[in-house]
Amino acid sequence: MLKGIGNLVLKELKELMRDPKILLGMVLMPLLMFPLMGTIIGASMEATKEKLAEMHVLVWDKDCGSYAKNFTEYLRSYGIRVHEVDVSKLSEAVALMPDYNATLLIEIPNGFSENVSRVIEGNTTVSAKVEVYGVFSGSGMFEEVGVSMVDALVESYNRQKAPNPVGVEKNTIVKGEILEGIDPGTVSGLMMAQSITMPLTIMMLLTFAMQIAATSVAMEKEEKTLETLLTLPIGRFTILAGKLAGSTIVAAVGALAYLVGFQYYMSSFTGMIPAEGVDLAALGLVPSMLGYVLIGISLFVSLLSALALAIILSAFAENVRSAQSLIGFVYPLIFLPSFLLMYMDISMLPLSLQILILAIPYSHPILASKAVIMGNLSTAVLSIIYVSAFTVVILYAAAKLFATEKILTVKLRMKKLKIKWKRKASTES
Amino acid sequence: MDYAVRVEELRKVFGDVQALNGLSFSVDKGEIFGLIGPNGAGKTTALRIVSTLLLPTSGKVEVFGLDVVEQPEEVRKVLTYLPEEAGAYPNLSGREYLEFMAKFKARDKHELKEFVEEAAVISGLGERLKDKVKTYSKGMKRRLLVARALMTKPRLAVLDEPTSGLDVLHSYHVREIIKRYVKKHEVTVLLSSHNMLEVEYLCDRVALLNKGRIIAEGAPEELKEKFESANLEEVFAKVVKIA
Repeated sequence: MLKGIGNLVLKELKELMRDPKILLGMVLMPLLMFPLMGTIIGASMEATKEKLAEMHVLVWDKDCGSYAKNFTEYLRSYGIRVHEVDVSKLSEAVALMPDYNATLLIEIPNGFSENVSRVIEGNTTVSAKVEVYGVFSGSGMFEEVGVSMVDALVESYNRQKAPNPVGVEKNTIVKGEILEGIDPGTVSGLMMAQSITMPLTIMMLLTFAMQIAATSVAMEKEEKTLETLLTLPIGRFTILAGKLAGSTIVAAVGALAYLVGFQYYMSSFTGMIPAEGVDLAALGLVPSMLGYVLIGISLFVSLLSALALAIILSAFAENVRSAQSLIGFVYPLIFLPSFLLMYMDISMLPLSLQILILAIPYSHPILASKAVIMGNLSTAVLSIIYVSAFTVVILYAAAKLFATEKILTVKLRMKKLKIKWKRKASTES
Repeated sequence: MDYAVRVEELRKVFGDVQALNGLSFSVDKGEIFGLIGPNGAGKTTALRIVSTLLLPTSGKVEVFGLDVVEQPEEVRKVLTYLPEEAGAYPNLSGREYLEFMAKFKARDKHELKEFVEEAAVISGLGERLKDKVKTYSKGMKRRLLVARALMTKPRLAVLDEPTSGLDVLHSYHVREIIKRYVKKHEVTVLLSSHNMLEVEYLCDRVALLNKGRIIAEGAPEELKEKFESANLEEVFAKVVKIA
């Protein structure tokens, strides 16, 4: 029934695998990309661990009793850098946190030691509470780890002493404001959903837009309309601008849809959350109107540079298929920061990775969005300036390409490169 | 004498390949001039340089006195170019495609309409112009493209293999269009073909190209007489042997 299928399959394989662009894009890239991503995420986890090991905790001991001292020493015995502060008000303690680079504040209330000893002696079952204040910085998935660690330490302290002499009351500090009774884990959990959705959506949008632009140039080549277009009495830059504008309009509609969706997504949270006592809008964790505008600009400029890059790359392709394979080479630059920034805040990464992520222009819409949510508008503006500069360079290169005969004659000559390389190697030997 | 096209000592090198090797010829105003020769002779490269798509490695090319290297945008105003394997945007209708192209040359709406109606007559596609280009046969597409190249009455039409890949009837139609139209509107035509009989029928003068240079040039009748041949095919075979 399927007579000749073997012959057909063999032909398909030869045809596809002999296309160096497909081989590189489909086989070699994933083989390189995933180990690279694994290494980077591994390095990020390592960085988080190191950050935790270096965690600084402020202890405001109002009790000064024996169990309070004992509890503080217990924390120290686990390698936590504890700094004891002597203040009269909670706000003073919070204000001191940046000086000690601390992300956690533990308040040991008056009567703590007495309460603990009563529990240990069996006179009461009501635990002595410590108030834990965690700073929420919107840094990523592992944000609540610090508070959870104190939780775990308190539990092991309890196991050593008696059944539950110490309890933990969790509070959150957002942008210097104290939110009593709100677990940083709850805020972090809410923000986490966003920290995954946002990079994913931006990633999809950028890849989609690049496909559109690359296809539009490759179609001109494949349908043999480019030559005619280039002999019309219009400037070459006009042709490039036309291509960019067409793709940009489509991509801008995409960006707009993204923003509308994103806003709806955020408002659905803010509508739902007050019931749990946490209102992201009230916490200032929802972008302002200006914030939304900055996110929009950042996304738009990144899109424009992605489109211009796609157009340059597609000039090297003879048809739509090879244009899309070539675009595949840019995907790691989009995927890598997206995945990484889902789990981490850039500040938690080693310096080399930070530089890498900052250098990749497609990290910036995500970085700008995060910065805007945390109210750091100047970071968003700097990010926009960097991507705009990159976009100007790419646009200039694209304009140069369109102005010469290269747009028709440039091709990826893998064979030639290989021969040249072999020749060079043989002359060197 | 004022020439429509003047090519002097034109050379073009692509990597290790010498596509044109000292090509020289001139085309008079209002004539149909044919570049003929086998595949790889350099016909398309020469036409692409005249049309400002490629830059010469050396030599000089002028179109109505305009230098193709120095004044490419001016040159593009006076010519239209029909590539050998040209296509049209598949999702536009034939009429939309013609309107799109005409808008670059038309000075007002009236002229735009005039161009498109002219193209409708030239192509002979009638009601089919309302259909999307992707539904056209190869012959219909070529007629649409020839009409596009001629509708604006350019001073110079550069046609690369105008009947390339067409069957007898479509080829006949396209040849008739070119012959009739250019004489009526005094359009100068520079065309290429490897179909010697077609060239003999269409061209006032021809140049025989081989390995990037001209090996014979003149009116078809003159060449046949000079080389005592029945047709241009024979002329070409003899000239190649001599060369």
